[in-house]
Amino acid sequence: MKIVSMDVMSTGAIAYYVLIASREGFFTPILSDSRIDGAYADPVPQGAILTAIVIGLSIQALMLVGVMKLSRDHPTLDTHEIEKDNT
Amino acid sequence: MNTVTIAWIALPFFIGFLIYLLPKLDRYLALMAALASLAYGFSLFLPDSSLRLTLLDSFGVTLEADTSSGFFILTNALVTLAVVIYCWDTNKTAFFYTQAIILHGSVNATFICADFISLYVALEVSGIAAFLAIAYPRSDRSLWVGLRYLFISNVALLFFLIGAVLVYQANHSFAFAGLREAPPEALALIFLGLLVKGGVFVSGLWLPLTHSESETPVSALLSGVAVKSGIFPLMRCALIVPEVDPIVRSFGVATALLGVFYAVFEKDTKRMLAFHTVSQLGFILAAPEVGGFYALTHGLVKSALFLCAGTLPSRNLKKLQQQPISTPLWIVLAIASFSISGFPLLSGFGAKILTMKNLLPWQVIGMNLAAWGTAISFAKFIFIPHQRAIEDHKSRPGFWIAVIILLLGLIAANVAYYDAYNMTNTIKPLATIALGWLAYFAIFKRLSIKLPRVVEQFDHLIGSMSLVLILLFWMGFAWLDI
Repeated sequence: MKIVSMDVMSTGAIAYYVLIASREGFFTPILSDSRIDGAYADPVPQGAILTAIVIGLSIQALMLVGVMKLSRDHPTLDTHEIEKDNT
Repeated sequence: MNTVTIAWIALPFFIGFLIYLLPKLDRYLALMAALASLAYGFSLFLPDSSLRLTLLDSFGVTLEADTSSGFFILTNALVTLAVVIYCWDTNKTAFFYTQAIILHGSVNATFICADFISLYVALEVSGIAAFLAIAYPRSDRSLWVGLRYLFISNVALLFFLIGAVLVYQANHSFAFAGLREAPPEALALIFLGLLVKGGVFVSGLWLPLTHSESETPVSALLSGVAVKSGIFPLMRCALIVPEVDPIVRSFGVATALLGVFYAVFEKDTKRMLAFHTVSQLGFILAAPEVGGFYALTHGLVKSALFLCAGTLPSRNLKKLQQQPISTPLWIVLAIASFSISGFPLLSGFGAKILTMKNLLPWQVIGMNLAAWGTAISFAKFIFIPHQRAIEDHKSRPGFWIAVIILLLGLIAANVAYYDAYNMTNTIKPLATIALGWLAYFAIFKRLSIKLPRVVEQFDHLIGSMSLVLILLFWMGFAWLDI
């Protein structure tokens, strides 16, 4: 459950970046023939957060695999139990 | 210089993946990567070689390499070199060397970053590589310790990310210098991420369990270098944005005292060394301009000590008192302990003098107390009984070569600050050490207090992040004009 909560936090951070990106405008920042002057969303935070999304995803995956392996021997997902055995 | 820097940054990652693809060459490739960093680190000390690269039109993405980073990079290179040599004749698979080199590379990257997004990426990669290295033995305990580390590190960096975007919003750039215009929330969030990653003050209480429960070479690598990756940006921010300097310094003193307080009561060698790392990081933070030299000496010493602690017959200090260890091992242990206590002729002395010289008046008492505590705790290592003829089954040639490299580095690093050697400077550390040994014999040798481990529990670690966040926010709000 804690791992899922980490994912939720990560989604929150990503959403905040998208919010900041859309302060200027809502249009996708891609130039095309039908130019809409101004009101493009800011592409920089969007680009920065892509990295963060990928990193968050990979950490999530690693942690889930780790928990799977841990729970093979002690079929519990409770952090207190695991901590008591392993500290 | 530009191309060299970029090539040097990318090299460990390429080599890391190459190691996994060519498992027969793993140790040689790892050695090559460490040597390349060593060369680059030295080159940063040549005049006119500091570097400031800014990616054009890319919103403050900046690389900055100067002598301060040079010290850290040297530390990284030497410690990685020693760890690779230590592991040479053990049967570590190529995966281990891959992780070690990727950790090395990402930590290198943090030492030359000067903007928040590059720093985020570098810190996350170092966290993942460290997790894989910690969980290498695949036992339940190491897996749990590794998962705990990864979770805490990721959550802290998520806070950091929000702080980074607040900085961006204020300046349209991610560079460190933007911290000045950013609101105090940004400061609090970013510093929280760095404090947790660097293991500073209460947010660093994940460190003792993690460093003590990993395998010896991994502990050496983590304690010697990986935590510096969290500390270095704090130092950089304090130098680039002098308004945050008081916050960084006060955290330095606080963590020095906290770490040493736990360390003097500790009875387990590896946990004591881990608490010591927490404390010594405080010394680095307490004087940001000259932290680089201290980081070099600390990195070398701490990794040498961890490698030795892995070779000692037992982890319990009381048991070690009863059974003599072999004299060569004791000599190595004693030299390292002397250096960290600040004995002359070893560069720990120069580092301590340099730091003390650069302290603000209100920090002096706290740091002196911390230095005294350091002398007390390392007396525990120095006064272990030893005999010449003990058969030492655990030490291998790899261990001796690694440790000798580190200790030679300690002695050689003296040249960086040989102004420290005059009469007045020598008296104070000697007095501190003498007082420390006195206190050790009088009090601490017989003391058996077990400090509660409640604060290191997982839930409390996460909770303390929110508390530190609030603390930072009020510090930023009240003390600074940001």
